[in-house]
Amino acid sequence: MFLALKELKHGKLRFTMIGLIIVLIAWLVFILSGLGNGLSTLSAATIKNWEAEHVVYENGAGAKFSKSLLSQSLQSKIEAQPGVEEVAPFSQAVIAILPIDGVAEGEDKVDAALLGIEASSFLHPEVIEGKAIEPTIKNGVVANITLKDQKGYAIGDVIAIDGSELNAKIIGFVENETFNHLPSLFANMDFVREYKYSAPGSNNGVEDAINAFAILGKVVDAIQMEKEVDGVEVVTKSSAINGMPGYTAENGTIMMMLVFLIVISAFVIAVFFYVLTIQKTQQFGVMKAIGASNGFIARAIVSQVFVLSFFSILIGIGLTYLTAMVFPEEMPFNLDPVLVIIYGIVLLVISVGSSLFSVRRISKIDPLTALGRVE
Amino acid sequence: MTLSMKNVSKVYKEGESQIIALDQVSMEVASGEFVAIIGPSGSGKSTFLSIAGALLKPSQGEVKIDNKNIATLKDKELSHLRLHEIGFILQTSNLMPYLNVLDNLLLLKKMSGKVTKQDGAFAKELLIELGLTDKFEKFPNELSGGERQRVAIARSFMNDSSLILADEPTASLDTNRANEVVSLISKEVKARGRAAIMVTHDERMLAYCDRVYRMEDGKLTLQ
Ligand SMILES: Nc1ncnc2c1ncn2[C@@H]1O[C@H](COP(=O)(O)OP(=O)(O)OP(=O)(O)O)[C@@H](O)[C@H]1O
Ligand SMILES: [Mg+2]
Repeated sequence: MFLALKELKHGKLRFTMIGLIIVLIAWLVFILSGLGNGLSTLSAATIKNWEAEHVVYENGAGAKFSKSLLSQSLQSKIEAQPGVEEVAPFSQAVIAILPIDGVAEGEDKVDAALLGIEASSFLHPEVIEGKAIEPTIKNGVVANITLKDQKGYAIGDVIAIDGSELNAKIIGFVENETFNHLPSLFANMDFVREYKYSAPGSNNGVEDAINAFAILGKVVDAIQMEKEVDGVEVVTKSSAINGMPGYTAENGTIMMMLVFLIVISAFVIAVFFYVLTIQKTQQFGVMKAIGASNGFIARAIVSQVFVLSFFSILIGIGLTYLTAMVFPEEMPFNLDPVLVIIYGIVLLVISVGSSLFSVRRISKIDPLTALGRVE
Repeated sequence: MTLSMKNVSKVYKEGESQIIALDQVSMEVASGEFVAIIGPSGSGKSTFLSIAGALLKPSQGEVKIDNKNIATLKDKELSHLRLHEIGFILQTSNLMPYLNVLDNLLLLKKMSGKVTKQDGAFAKELLIELGLTDKFEKFPNELSGGERQRVAIARSFMNDSSLILADEPTASLDTNRANEVVSLISKEVKARGRAAIMVTHDERMLAYCDRVYRMEDGKLTLQ
């Protein structure tokens, strides 16, 4: 630490520049992970928020709600399966909503995901304003708060559903509920059914049609259940999330970018520290000549890199939160503190790890270098 | 015997040709002895010091420092030996550029563990003796060549090493300073019972030494 800190202090400019590189890399990593996280939240937040462990689809649906059509009458059979604690039917539709008196000048219809659940279901998120849906208010819906914050809807507003004669009434708001990149609109199952299957035959002859069931229960045997209940496929919640349209592709893209970014920065950082070390070959030779052990020099290098990277990464995190504040509200940016810590540690490990390359080099330096003969 | 070298040879291989830098050299230096080596450039003096200081392995022969045969020591033991038994004054003063004068001396103590108050006091005492009273906080690039050399000398005294090896310590000093520095080394040797070997070109410095050797084409002879 002694050498490390003294040298940092003496070579302020040089180390500021290297620190800056690490700050920029960290900044980029955190921004990218925040965007990735925001995007994946946007595409499946509602499902992620579910307490459920498994989801039941129609056989062949491939964990896609839009391809799955089941009858709610299966519910009792599923409930009877071993390990199942609770079953909740779920139905979804993509809609556009507009104020009942028409769209004002300069405004647009708003896309939303209409999600049918049962009023007392465990799929109903906690309302932060107003009240939850109830069977007695058939057309009552609970909307994601962004409809209020960004689109100006309020409790008590009656909204028209585009392409349908149905009207809904906003009775409550929830937060962080999005589905398919759209704000969620929770409604009574009957209401959704009325909207979706109003045309004769549109339910393929399935009685009481729904899209899927969410199952609560830690010890459910999915394979066994598929055997017992005809015509269903049972997947874990994470498979259900991956089945959301675009989710895997989006996540894959972001992950790929992150991985490349991290791998490339590992190289960049390693090269920087390596060059820095090579420049000091003569100095290390002198230290060895006057009796420094490899361990002493290695500790000096590693602790220096650690201090430098640690503070650079902290600054990178700070910058990221500052940037997040100036991002427009619609930007799907969501910094998960857990992710920030994980990526921070990954970056720290990378830079300290890459400095170990230089340390290997040090151990090979001949103390004779000190005599200025061996170059 | 602090240093004992028996029939030491050093051969540098360069492609096809060989350079015999040291040829069957023997020398013994006891504690309290101050020995000088003179000789023309390229005769093998620095090579000799490097071997005596355990920086370089001889091609042949036996080197014992404090009765330890250095051929049998591992890297780690060698650096321990260099740190605790040998004080090096290199041909070009080699200070850490980012440490101030005082820290350059204390670095040695850092290497062997903790720096105590006494170490600080001792370092200052040495620097004062070498006429560097108001340079404690200066960095090497703020010193003259001679001042740097004196810091390097102080550093070689810092650890209680039994063997001091100096490669032309007075090269960049004026006559007065050179006299002071060499008499200081001589004083250290006598007072603290160390052994010292000094390579020099300066015939006037030989007066301080107990014995003078001449190196010529890798062969060492007592004057
Ligand atoms: N690493 C090396 N590889 C090959 N030859 C070397 C090496 N080091 C020294 N030599 C050769 O060994 C001989 C002795 O070199 P050395 O440095 O010991 O001379 P010196 O007496 O210290 O000279 P000077 O007074 O100029 O410092 C020289 O001919 C030199 O070229
Ligand atoms: Mg020489």
